[in-house]
Amino acid sequence: MSSFLEVAGLEKRFAERTPGEAAPWVIRDLSFTVAEGEFVTIVGPSGAGKSTILNMIAQVEPPSGGRILLNGVVVLDAHKPVLRPGLDCRIGYVTQDDNLLPWRTLLDNVLFPLEVQGRLDDAARAHARDLLQAVGLNGYERYFPHELSGGMRKRAALIRTLVYDPPVILMDEPFGALDAETRAQLQADLQKLWAMRRKTILFVTHEIAEAIALGSRVLVLKRAPACVIADHAVELPRPRVVDDVLTLPAFVQLYDTIRQVIR
Amino acid sequence: MTWGQATRDRVLVGILLLAAWQITSQIVGAYWVSPPLVTFANVWRTLQNGTLLFHSVFTVSAAVLGFAIGTAPGVLLPMLIRRRPVVQRILDPFLVAGYGLPKLALAPLFILWFGIGIESKVVLVASVVFFLVFFNTMAGVRSIDARLVRMARVAGASDWQVSRHVVWPAVIPHVFAGIRIATPYAIGGVVISELISSSRGLGYLVQLGAMNFSTPDVFGAIVAITVITGFASWLVGLVEARFLRWRPADGLTSAATDH
Repeated sequence: MSSFLEVAGLEKRFAERTPGEAAPWVIRDLSFTVAEGEFVTIVGPSGAGKSTILNMIAQVEPPSGGRILLNGVVVLDAHKPVLRPGLDCRIGYVTQDDNLLPWRTLLDNVLFPLEVQGRLDDAARAHARDLLQAVGLNGYERYFPHELSGGMRKRAALIRTLVYDPPVILMDEPFGALDAETRAQLQADLQKLWAMRRKTILFVTHEIAEAIALGSRVLVLKRAPACVIADHAVELPRPRVVDDVLTLPAFVQLYDTIRQVIR
Repeated sequence: MTWGQATRDRVLVGILLLAAWQITSQIVGAYWVSPPLVTFANVWRTLQNGTLLFHSVFTVSAAVLGFAIGTAPGVLLPMLIRRRPVVQRILDPFLVAGYGLPKLALAPLFILWFGIGIESKVVLVASVVFFLVFFNTMAGVRSIDARLVRMARVAGASDWQVSRHVVWPAVIPHVFAGIRIATPYAIGGVVISELISSSRGLGYLVQLGAMNFSTPDVFGAIVAITVITGFASWLVGLVEARFLRWRPADGLTSAATDH
């Protein structure tokens, strides 16, 4: 498989607290590649710098070392750290918090990227309508975020990124703070959306089960300073119903393997 | 509490206050404290002969002008220096000093410089309003959620679009908090300046009444000032509600305290 997104020797260390004293590393020599249309999950213990990795790929935080390539072209180099957040709309980022703008209705939040990118036309609106329909948010377009449930807000945040079709989508534990049922629903929604459009997705989570159930490949990180210590292809048939795959032998085996590496 | 009950209780409190006013007047003498009925009769008389309106228009014009001149830079400056921490640090001590300075004490100076006409009142009001609006707006700019800005950047928003679609809407409640505090000060500032030296305005009426030992005139002018201030505050609240429809209805009514 050819690499679409390549992370090469990425490094990050804390800001220096006392001058002259070396600050500890958060991420050390992190390298991996993601093929186009692949759904890669990254799993690692809390505090392994998972969010930091995505922040650097999304270019909202500068790396201390290493490079990132997209389609073979260097898009971020620690030696010339000029940050381009979202890389001209080629990298979408669904963060832990939904970050909806509280003064915009659900629909206006979803259309926000298209609006600022100057791409808001009838086709785009129709696309947004389809996506809202796909995750069951139709009928709520004119409500403000504070009027919606956490699950609905998460869906809106997800749709907001999908609607402008970035080739790469980063997801940082997007379903973290939800109840089990909503979470299962959203995991199903995400798989459905991915099957529809085959985006390249890099999905970070601290839950091994979620990582296996969603990903085509699971990268395992070790505790800080983080780097990839295992890379597993997930040979489970799709479409996957997250609750059902939990009992498959292939799942159980992989789960145990990863758990032993992380613990 | 239902609306009807609130209204009924308000009327009750109003009647009690009027009664207290009446009793005070009877104890210390109508010469010193003009009783309510005499005061309102005086207000009615001056309304009919046009004096009250004439002086009110002058006071309100000065307040509105000074308010506008003070508010505009008070809102714009924080937006402009938002991403310039060095400029913020340079200006900070001077703005704090300017805020702490008792502007009303400058009133005689402004009259000396700008005369007893509307100009000195406008300048005084603008100088009071500016700092109140500036510091509230600046607090709003400082409390911007960096995650929202980051989201907008990743989504492709330019600097201007971030200011327009993320920062500005988040700052509006703080601007209104400043405006709400500044409104009575704007009218009060004009009145004080008129008290010191003027040939027109409600402050002039207060001063004239006092010089003539006519408490009904003084009380009448004060009633007018109170009514105008109340109306202005109500109007600000109305505009604010129109701007902040997106906010949750419970709590969060005061932007000054929610951060």
